[in-house]
Parts: sequence; structure tokens; C-alpha cells
Amino acid sequence: MNRSPLHCFFVATSFAALVSVSPVAGQAANSGVQEFDPQAFPGQVVDDVVVPVPSEVFSVLDKLGEPNWRQEIRTVDLPKTGDRTKLSLMFGLVVAEGFVAVQAEDKEAVKDIGREVIDLATALGLIKSVRPHAQAILDAADKSDWASIRKEFDQTQKTVRDSMEQMKDADLSQCVSMGGWLRGTSSVTSVITKSFSADRAELLNQPMLVEHFISSIGKMSKDKKEHPNVSDISKGLKLILAKMEGAVDGFTKDGVREIGKTCDSLLTDIQAAR
Amino acid sequence: MTALLTGLMLLLSAPLSHATIDDAHSFAMEAAVPFVEQGFIVREDYWNGEVKSGQKLMVRHQMFKGNEYAFWLGTAQDDVTFELQVLDETGKEIELDFKSQGMFATVRVNPPKTGTYSVVFSLTSKKEKGVYWALAYGYR
Repeated sequence: MNRSPLHCFFVATSFAALVSVSPVAGQAANSGVQEFDPQAFPGQVVDDVVVPVPSEVFSVLDKLGEPNWRQEIRTVDLPKTGDRTKLSLMFGLVVAEGFVAVQAEDKEAVKDIGREVIDLATALGLIKSVRPHAQAILDAADKSDWASIRKEFDQTQKTVRDSMEQMKDADLSQCVSMGGWLRGTSSVTSVITKSFSADRAELLNQPMLVEHFISSIGKMSKDKKEHPNVSDISKGLKLILAKMEGAVDGFTKDGVREIGKTCDSLLTDIQAAR
Repeated sequence: MTALLTGLMLLLSAPLSHATIDDAHSFAMEAAVPFVEQGFIVREDYWNGEVKSGQKLMVRHQMFKGNEYAFWLGTAQDDVTFELQVLDETGKEIELDFKSQGMFATVRVNPPKTGTYSVVFSLTSKKEKGVYWALAYGYR
């Protein structure tokens, strides 16, 4: 994300003060709500998207109740592979699993995930930059320093994505983000389904992020776009987006379950040996 | 935190004539220090770049109702005037407590709904045509 120069595009070149600009309204396709139209923004739109880490959503779920996070930890069973696209998706998945383990305050699960991070970084050829973070995760787990572990997981993911982008592997960097988002969202849907409420379900209102991932896949090189996992993720994300856009009056429990099922199926495929 | 402050002291001792985008991020992180003391978690990812003085910029960002957010806008130049606003999907301003001091500006946000928000900002320099900037955020 901290790349220079940023890839921005000019929508217009007006230098009028924003306060003198009325937000341009357009009819939202599904709700009739007057929405701010960023395309009509009189300035530069930065097209980089920062994808929230799972703990941003988890922290709200904690405020709304006390989820049993230990129940949400999944055993990570990763195939040995040299497929860098799959490895990148798995890396994102594993880091998101780390956030779940931190939420559960499960020391051993965090350590297992720390070791998986080392294995995946080695397979991706990024161990040199990742090892300090992985070691810090293992050390902090011994001290039950959950805040530091969260920070290290966030830094680990950023380090890997930055390294990939420096190596002109922006597609793989997106795969890391997508793997992480899918695992985080799967966990969120699981918690919401176990204790459904409109406030909890509203956390799934993330169409901009899903559109960002779909658009990122659309811009990928042919070999990445046609990778079986990426191609499936593209289809799955379109289903998820339709669910999100259809939830005009809020998400139903069935809608939440469907999103979770789609995420889980994609995560199973990512961890399959094919 | 110690590392952040150490880095910051090194930065403050550096001449501004060699200002970089990284310096802009360091000042955004300086702005974050009191927020961290209040329990905000700083995200590692951030936006940055160089922009024409006075040019409006916008980033779109996902926020979750129930969290409080803070945005920290830093620059590498010492004569900059900041504007920083957060708009909801209808274009209504929702930020609280805008503060600007030296090389950075901050706002806090309590998103009324989960969804996409637009962070709109500009940096105006009296001396420079181009301005380095970095926008970071945190939540609690």
C-alpha cells in the first residue's frame, strides 16, 4: 500500500473547495437511496483499497456479545505445493486464522500458526523478511501478549504483500488479501449464525471490498485469472456480492449462512491438494 | 511504541530539505501516539503519495459500526494547511474532533452504519508545488 507513486486516476481537475461541492446524487440501484457518487468527486480518487484485518470485525462482535472464539479456530491442513498462487492464498488464510487464534487467546494455536507462517514464507521465498515477525509472534505467544501478536500478524501480511509488489507480483499480493478476507468472513458468518442479530449481521455489509477483489481478479494476468482457485473465487465473490447487494433491509440468517457456505467452500478448495 | 518514538526522534533531527514520503508517514504515526495511549490499534497498511498543493484527494474505506476510528494525515513539509473530512454514502460529513498541528492532522469517526465511507483531504503549502502525504488509520 505504501507505494510511490500511487496509482491514482483523475476524475476531474477542479480545485474548488469541497465545502462548495454538493455531493452528486445517483439512484442506488437497489434501494432508491440518494448516494454520494465518488465518480463525480472534483479531485483525485486514490484507487488503493486498504482491506481491514479480521480483528477489526472481531472487535465489534466482542462488543455485541461474547463469542466462543475457541470454537471458531480451524485446524490448518495445508498441502505441500510449489504453486505460488495457491501459496499466496494460503498465506492470507493462515494469517487470518492467526487473528482468530489471538481472539481465542489460544497460545498453542498461535504458535502452530506462527510455524505455518514460517513454512509458507519459506515456500514463497520470503522467509528472510518474514522470520523476524514470525519469531516475534512465537515470543509474544509465550508471554500471552495478544496486542503484540495482532500487530505482528498485521505487519507480517504487509511485509509479504510489499515484498511481492516489489517483485512485480501484485497479483499474488491480491491473493494474500483475498485468502485473508475469505477466512475472516467465514469466521464472522459462523459467529453471527450461532447468535444472530441484525447488528451483528450488518457487519457483512462490505460490497466495496468484494467489488475491489472482483475488479483485482479482472486485472490479473491470464495465468492467474485462470488459476482454478482464483477462477472459483471470482465466481464465489460474485455470489457473495449479490447477497450483499440484495440485503436492502438487512441480512437474514439464511443470507449470512449462504455467504459463510460460499467462503467455506472456497477455503476448502484453497487447502485442497489439486 | 518505544521504537516508534525512537524513530520519531531520529526523524525530527533530520533536515527537512531531504523530506520523503516516509517522513510523511512518520508524522502520521506521531499523530497516532496519543490515540494509541487511549487504546487505538494502528493498522500497518496506509495510503501515501505526492500531490499538487491544494489538490483534493479521496480514499474510500470500509468501516464497521461499533468501532471508533481515527485517521492520521501526515506530511513532510512544515508549512502545510490541512483539510480532512469523512463522508458517509450520502456525502454527509461524519467526522468528529478535527485537529491540526504542525506536520499532521487527525479526525475521529464513529461510523453510524457499517459500510463504505469516503475520506476527503487536501494539503496546501505556501512554498511548495508538490506535497508528500501519508494517511494512516486505527480503530478501537
